[in-house]
Amino acid sequence: MRTAAVPIYAWLSAALLAALAAPACAAALEVTVTGPDNEPVPGVAVYVMQAGRDAAAEPAAAVMDQRGKRFEPHLLIVQKGATVEFPNSDVVAHHVYSFSKPNNFVLPLYKGDPHDPVTFAHDGIVTLGCNIHDGMLGYIVVVDTDLFGVTGADGSLRVELDEQAGAATVSIWSPRIRDRHLSRVVSATTPAISFTLDKKLRPPHDSGSEALQWSDY
Amino acid sequence: MVGLLNGRLLPLLGAVALAPAAADADEAGRYRLVAGLDLSHVDASGHPSWLEGSAGKLRYDADNDGVLLSRGFVDYGYRLADTVSAKLNAELYVEDFSSTLDLTEAYLEWRPVPRSANRYTLKAGIFYPRVSLENTDAGWSSPYTLSSSAINTWVGEELRSYGAEFAVERRPALLGGRQRIALHASLFYNNDTAGGLIAWKGWSLHDRQSRIGDGVPLPPVPQIQPGAWFDEQDPFITPILEIDDTWGYSLDAEWSLDQRLLVRLTHYDNRTDPFGYEDGQYAWETGFDQLGIKASLPGEVGLIGQWLDGYTLWGRQTNGIHAVDVGFESRFLLLTRPFDRQRVSLRYDHFEVTERDSIPLDENREIGHAWTLSWRYVLNEHVTFAAEWLEITSERPAWAYFGLAEEKTERQLQLTVRLGFSRR
Repeated sequence: MRTAAVPIYAWLSAALLAALAAPACAAALEVTVTGPDNEPVPGVAVYVMQAGRDAAAEPAAAVMDQRGKRFEPHLLIVQKGATVEFPNSDVVAHHVYSFSKPNNFVLPLYKGDPHDPVTFAHDGIVTLGCNIHDGMLGYIVVVDTDLFGVTGADGSLRVELDEQAGAATVSIWSPRIRDRHLSRVVSATTPAISFTLDKKLRPPHDSGSEALQWSDY
Repeated sequence: MVGLLNGRLLPLLGAVALAPAAADADEAGRYRLVAGLDLSHVDASGHPSWLEGSAGKLRYDADNDGVLLSRGFVDYGYRLADTVSAKLNAELYVEDFSSTLDLTEAYLEWRPVPRSANRYTLKAGIFYPRVSLENTDAGWSSPYTLSSSAINTWVGEELRSYGAEFAVERRPALLGGRQRIALHASLFYNNDTAGGLIAWKGWSLHDRQSRIGDGVPLPPVPQIQPGAWFDEQDPFITPILEIDDTWGYSLDAEWSLDQRLLVRLTHYDNRTDPFGYEDGQYAWETGFDQLGIKASLPGEVGLIGQWLDGYTLWGRQTNGIHAVDVGFESRFLLLTRPFDRQRVSLRYDHFEVTERDSIPLDENREIGHAWTLSWRYVLNEHVTFAAEWLEITSERPAWAYFGLAEEKTERQLQLTVRLGFSRR
């Protein structure tokens, strides 16, 4: 039986098209966080520092909203140098601040969105509060990489590593986690990594609890 | 003193009248106003009330119950700057011994934006010392019952701080922790007569708060009658008065775990010179310690408990004994549970006054307890219905001075419609 010969250039162009469609140098890494009870942990900040990888030139801007006397999202992760807008979608006024140096800032009492976005020029955890509503609590995780995200309901997050760059350090953070040393080094082609926490998680923060509130101005 | 309005109220009324216009012009919402009017049907039985010139423990008695306007209040806050607020509280009572409407609290509060995990707050003006764990609603109302516990009724009758209160609050919650620690310290003035009512009238349970201009009636005890030992005392007490020009202080430490458990320890000392006397008012040296607990129990049941132990004394010492010297102690436990828009609360109070002097015809001992069962139903933001059954059983030998039984169970049923208005 005769079969049609496929010329070598056809293979090459197919390979080239495939490479253009999905860069051959990217390798997906799935990061999963599970608690001591083996339950997935959502809402965990995940960030990856990979040696020899080119970071995005312009950090993406983000929004930290205030709704129902809560920061929304409760935890936001941004790249160092990113700007974050703090609109107030509530009927009541808020007075947003953070004392987390050197990213500390104050947005005096406001409704709507009268303030300029805040630029976070240093990496680290920025704890947010409202001077009127003590129960309001939020976090911004500022990281020196563009490979980051927050775990979903299944406790996992996919990031795209550069296959041709060096080893990657994967770190996680959440205010609910008590474990320490939550960084692991993986090779550029590792398909998945799982963080299993030893210590019981702290209960999730409830911003809405009335007794914490100073007044309802 | 008696009149419809007190001069102090003009700024309050002016502010309330101007506030809506100011708020409309200002998007950031600078003021908060909560007002309420309690229309009640009261059915009381017991000794004639102390507020009617006798010595009974209830606010009402068989001659003064029925359908009445039991209380009105205005709780007004205005934000002067981003971190500075002014607060005014006024109470309205229809009585013949004081003005109808007057202030109970008036202060400024400064809450600077925290620069670390410590929050600092400074309060200055006229305010309640931090004793009550019950009276947390607007107008120092209790969300649980109409009548306050014996302890907090006394706070409403006699305690008010003219001064400043400094607080530091550590909020490790911001660091992901669940605990909160707060320390409060206050220096105050103008509370030198505090203690007189506890000694000569004893504990009560009701919803009347003394206002800044009030003189509240003392029972006509023989010791203050003309020709008696203490006849320079007016037939009423002016709760808010400075006599010896000495500052008093209070300190408290509070620890809480989430919204589940709160423990507060308080120490209070008015540091009054017990030899003081001015214009018909004796000065009383009064001090107490208190333990307060608030807890969330399983099944949505809330628990509040306070235990207060103190003393008050007055007058020259003879052989080491003051003219009037009594110890007072009270504790209560309140259980409460919400059922959607309704709430049911049950409270048990124990109270006593012990004699530490031996002056004849100055009998101040008492011992008693009270049960309070309360139901309330919030129909909507303007109408709340409340019903309260209150039963106080006590023994007070001094009642014999008025020809009243020394042991008595006093009962009161109060049905109230609270008409509310709020704007924030």
